Amino acid sequence: MNLRRYLLRKVAYVILTVFLISTLNFFLFQILPGDPTRVLLPRGGQSNATGGASLREELIHEWGLDQPVYVRFLVYMNNLLHGNLGTSIIYRSGTPVMTVITPRLTTTLLLIGGATAVTMWAGVILGRISGWRRGRPSDIVITLTSLFGYSMPSFWVSLIFLFYLAYVFPIFPPIGEHSLGYESMDPVSQALDELWHFALPVLTFVVTNVAWFSLTLRNSLTDVLPEDYMLTAAAKGLTERMRLRVHALPNARLPLVTASALYFGWVVSGAIVVENVFGINGLGALTWDATTSLDFPLMSAIFLIATLGVVIANAVSDVLYVFLDPRVREA
Amino acid sequence: MSVATPMSAQASVLRERILTDLIRFRKFFAAIVHNKLSLAGLVMILIFVFMSVGAPILVGPYPSQFDRSTPFQSPTSAHPLGTDWQGFDILKLVMYGGQISLLIGFVSSFVAMVIGTSVGLVAGYYGRVTDQVLSRATDFFLVIPWLPFVLVLSAVLGPSLETTIVAIAVVSWPTTARVIRSQVLTLKERKFVERARAIGANDFQILRKHILPNVMPLVWAEAVLTISSAVFTESFLSFFGLGPRGPNVIESWGTIVNEAYQYLALINGQWWYFLPPGLFITLVVLAFAMLGYGLEEVFNPSLRRR
Repeated sequence: MNLRRYLLRKVAYVILTVFLISTLNFFLFQILPGDPTRVLLPRGGQSNATGGASLREELIHEWGLDQPVYVRFLVYMNNLLHGNLGTSIIYRSGTPVMTVITPRLTTTLLLIGGATAVTMWAGVILGRISGWRRGRPSDIVITLTSLFGYSMPSFWVSLIFLFYLAYVFPIFPPIGEHSLGYESMDPVSQALDELWHFALPVLTFVVTNVAWFSLTLRNSLTDVLPEDYMLTAAAKGLTERMRLRVHALPNARLPLVTASALYFGWVVSGAIVVENVFGINGLGALTWDATTSLDFPLMSAIFLIATLGVVIANAVSDVLYVFLDPRVREA
Repeated sequence: MSVATPMSAQASVLRERILTDLIRFRKFFAAIVHNKLSLAGLVMILIFVFMSVGAPILVGPYPSQFDRSTPFQSPTSAHPLGTDWQGFDILKLVMYGGQISLLIGFVSSFVAMVIGTSVGLVAGYYGRVTDQVLSRATDFFLVIPWLPFVLVLSAVLGPSLETTIVAIAVVSWPTTARVIRSQVLTLKERKFVERARAIGANDFQILRKHILPNVMPLVWAEAVLTISSAVFTESFLSFFGLGPRGPNVIESWGTIVNEAYQYLALINGQWWYFLPPGLFITLVVLAFAMLGYGLEEVFNPSLRRR
């Protein structure tokens, strides 16, 4: 396969998906009963926007809400292309949604990034043990516990951690991402404070998601171990450790990249739960605020950004796969 | 050789059909029992179904405004799991909660199966442009992060039982469509399909009489797996307060956890309020997943190696 052609096709595919997602996002909010200006009102309520009638008029004009649906769609697409994702009407009335979202994004990316790194690390360690000792007690214990963790709803797991490790035994802080007086600390204590606050949320991620990686690695190790080159390695007299590290793992690691692609869709969902329960002011907590206050423009923008993030992460992991696998790269 | 009368011919066709159905059922059952994992799952499911459907007999009627006790009681012999914020017995709530969680699980899985199987059949059978379009649509719905989508959908439609079911079905069908499509791809090349076409069967007849019966076992396996993920998804919706609610509606497990959280069970040390419903969600999700994986292993030969 020609690498450049592959990349071009991938880019075209991402662009098409982005277009489809924007379209879906537009039509999702057309289901609302009543006339199109309903997006500016909470369900069954009055517009309590501080801008009141003038903000309403302005938005109706800006988004062509008094126009037929195809005009509205074109206006929407045009606004998106100019980076205008809408204006918050209830949560922070009259503020462009991007202004509301941007500061939250850093917190969430930090949380998700850290959690994913720890989850993958734990998953690789557990998967390595259970794949290598397939069928033995250690494998059975690891597989069953990770499956049990995967079946637990993350909101419940975070409540359990919060209850036992923050209230019953107050080891970790129950809420927030910083301690009081965070600004006056030196950088080292700031970092430690951050770690201390992110420990339980990250732990929740690990418990509920580690199965993605541990089971994937276990299964791919199972595929690799009967291969001829593993027998050769054993015949050469290599130690078990060498055989695993030099011969088995490099071949078994690749499916992890594919597994991570599916995992991204879950990370977003996990962030919504964890940020709410642990009071971290990220995009997930904002999703919840937007949903409860029925701030439709804000909801729409968050949905768009979260979905785009997942699509791009997916595309990156697909491309990464090609770069990491010499067989695919050179073929 | 005597010519059979129409009556007896009909009877023999009927007998034939009942017999094949019976054999099929026996095979299905044998497959479940043979696989320890799915048997354990099935037993757990039966226990939960018995518990939630039998709740009126086991613990009496669902609590109402007229038989309230003191709110937020600790566990006693009268209320083994204490009482909730309204003074309702938590044990009763939790046992009844299975009714709503399982109902939503079953119905949304059914809807998802109808969509997923149809898409999979059509995409796999017709191939070419049809397949391209449908497969891209499937991929598209597969990458959408499920929780934001379900949250937005139920916020737009307004929380109710129907909304919950629709929202869950919309995010649940793509995996089934994929599995069915790949199965159809191999089935349509088989000799019996060619033979049916040779004697003049049209596409619809081939799909309905020859391909669908052959993918049906796989659809069952997928249906069970989808119930697992549907119960899981429903619990998230309910935890965010978007599940079906109202004065006369039975609370689902997710709603109970939501209320425990809202009414500060964590700060007040009431573990009996939020632990049991969450544990039941986990066990039901696990039970359906175990049964489903076992079935899939039996009916999808490409997985049997593992």
